[in-house]
Amino acid sequence: MQIEHALRAVNKGGTALGIKASNGVVIVTEKKLPTPLIDESSIEKISVITETIGMVYAGVGPDFRLILRKARRQAELYKLRYHEPIPVSQCAREIANIMQEYTQSGGVRPFGISLLVAGYDHNGPQLYQVDPSGSFWAWKASSIGKNSDNAKTFLEKRYSDSISLEDAINTAILTLKEGFEGEMDENNIEIGIVDENKKFKCLKPSEIADYLNEIGD
Amino acid sequence: MSIYEYNGSALIAMAGKECVAIASDTRFGVRNQTVWREAQKIFQINNKTFLGLGGLNTDIWTLKETFRFHHNLYALREERDMSPKVFANLVSHVLYSHRFGPYFVSPIVCGLDDDNVPFLCGTDEIGAQEITHDFIATGTAVESLMGVCETFYKENLEPEDLFETISQCLLAGVDRDCLSGWGAVVHVLTKDGITTRKLKMRQD
Amino acid sequence: MENYEQSFNYENCLRNEELTKQGYEKKKQRKTGTTIAGIIFKDGVVLGADTRATEGYIVADGNCEKIHRISDYIYCCGAGTSADTENTTALISSKLELMRLTTGREPRVQNALTLLKQYLYHYHGYVSAALVLGGVDFKGPHLHMIHPHGSTSTLPFLTMGSGSLAAMAVFEAEYKTDLDEESAKNLVHKAITAGIFNDLGSGGNVDLCVMKFQNTQFFRNFDKPNKRKFSRINAYRFPKGTTQFLEEKVTLLRKNLVIENLDKNNNNNDNDNNDNNDNNDL
Repeated sequence: MQIEHALRAVNKGGTALGIKASNGVVIVTEKKLPTPLIDESSIEKISVITETIGMVYAGVGPDFRLILRKARRQAELYKLRYHEPIPVSQCAREIANIMQEYTQSGGVRPFGISLLVAGYDHNGPQLYQVDPSGSFWAWKASSIGKNSDNAKTFLEKRYSDSISLEDAINTAILTLKEGFEGEMDENNIEIGIVDENKKFKCLKPSEIADYLNEIGD
Repeated sequence: MSIYEYNGSALIAMAGKECVAIASDTRFGVRNQTVWREAQKIFQINNKTFLGLGGLNTDIWTLKETFRFHHNLYALREERDMSPKVFANLVSHVLYSHRFGPYFVSPIVCGLDDDNVPFLCGTDEIGAQEITHDFIATGTAVESLMGVCETFYKENLEPEDLFETISQCLLAGVDRDCLSGWGAVVHVLTKDGITTRKLKMRQD
Repeated sequence: MENYEQSFNYENCLRNEELTKQGYEKKKQRKTGTTIAGIIFKDGVVLGADTRATEGYIVADGNCEKIHRISDYIYCCGAGTSADTENTTALISSKLELMRLTTGREPRVQNALTLLKQYLYHYHGYVSAALVLGGVDFKGPHLHMIHPHGSTSTLPFLTMGSGSLAAMAVFEAEYKTDLDEESAKNLVHKAITAGIFNDLGSGGNVDLCVMKFQNTQFFRNFDKPNKRKFSRINAYRFPKGTTQFLEEKVTLLRKNLVIENLDKNNNNNDNDNNDNNDNNDL
């Protein structure tokens, strides 16, 4: 089956994980580059869909760009129609619909990516995972990509419903650190957060460095 | 003659304290010939939203079904009811998509939002919104209705007082319009429920 | 650049044309019958608008918003059919937002101008929006006007709408280059006020929008020169029972049950349910 190939591509991709805290969501990912000759700052794995929602992928990078463009378009169409930002569940559903279509149409192959969609809406913080098959679920914490099983076991031990966003960011970094090959620094991981302000933002390398120092101490 | 005067209608919506009321006449006529006295022009969209449609009767029923369809799909998809504000935006969107071949209706949307704050909105036939905080009127009797509403309306009325005010506005307004009247219906929406009353009125 | 399939629906056109032939006139659509204006000053742009929307000679809305947001640093005043100005600006705003996300840069005023004029030209003036577009990007302040047919002009001060003559008279008399912010605001305020009082299609209040580099301030109802001079002190009050009615139907709304608490406080919730059930004949 083609979906199995897609899933294999996902499992080769860099680890990404997300945690839904009581007051926000965090998604982190490793940003491993095949050679040190590539400029790290030119690559962005966590992207903003709308003001309130962001997402991260594991798998084939170019496939992600297409999904990102389509997701942003759907979000804007929703906003034009209802004059209200799209809820995270609807955004995840729209993305899943597109991914499902590519499992069944002629002349195309499924997307080689899994996604973690994080956002904050009228139902509070939300974290969704979308797979190449087009299935999607809401998670309290999840991981995708290489070593995702180990990361999930780690998260299961560490997770509690009352976890705060700050703690969740630290837990997320620790989890990522578990299976991390080589030295982790502010340039080879990315962090995206969304809190009660309902604004999704990617942390700057300097902000990531602060968290890494905190954990190092 | 305008196509809006083909069937005749009179509608008002009014805001009170944590309540809204919407009222319409119930005449259905074909020009000067009255055909039916129990026509419906106000439709309940969900527990907290009402839609009133004035204008050409055939378009009223087509659009009522269209809006119901869109609303119910939304409710199933998102597992929640549309707020009146979102519903009003949907109405605008649907009407504007018929920008170059419009439906001949003049809708009003009223309801209570999540905090039970009244929401009132009227649009023209191609969906230009007008959001007000006191009252809104539409239909063939709009001029006279606006006049009485301006004088009778008071802020923060309790549901029972709001019923009296909106009813008196409607009864006085339609007396000066040949094309509307012949019965009236008033819905008062509060956070606890809906009271619907058919008014006793002159039949000429 | 993403393209939206602008899905106008033409299925009623034939019927409506037939009705027009039979002598049923078209209704006047809601217009903004407007005074809108904009000027460039030393550090940026000031846009101004009145707040009256008219339907024929009826004031449909006394305090509507005619300054529309395109992006954080680009705003647009609209005159003409209000549904058209609202939807056109919303559509272009949406397109520019997608562009901002894909390019990672703030859109320029020129981007907005091009999208608007191409869109309007495409509809050959049938989308009747007359716009004053202003904004400040890294190239400095920009001010343009766009006619419904898609032609544009770029000037240091301009006015549009039915009150444009009144407002332009003020600008022609008093505009100077390199005005400071305060005098620029006052000048636009004066121009809009001239429109409000001398043009019948314009009225209500003055809205202003001041844009400087990376800094936008929107003054909704900057001035309210037309407050009602009286209040209804002894308004009519109808005692309960004034209106006679033939039928009454009361529908009580079912209270939302909180399912989460069912395990913890089983007894309490059972009682609540019973209270409600008596009335729940929906």
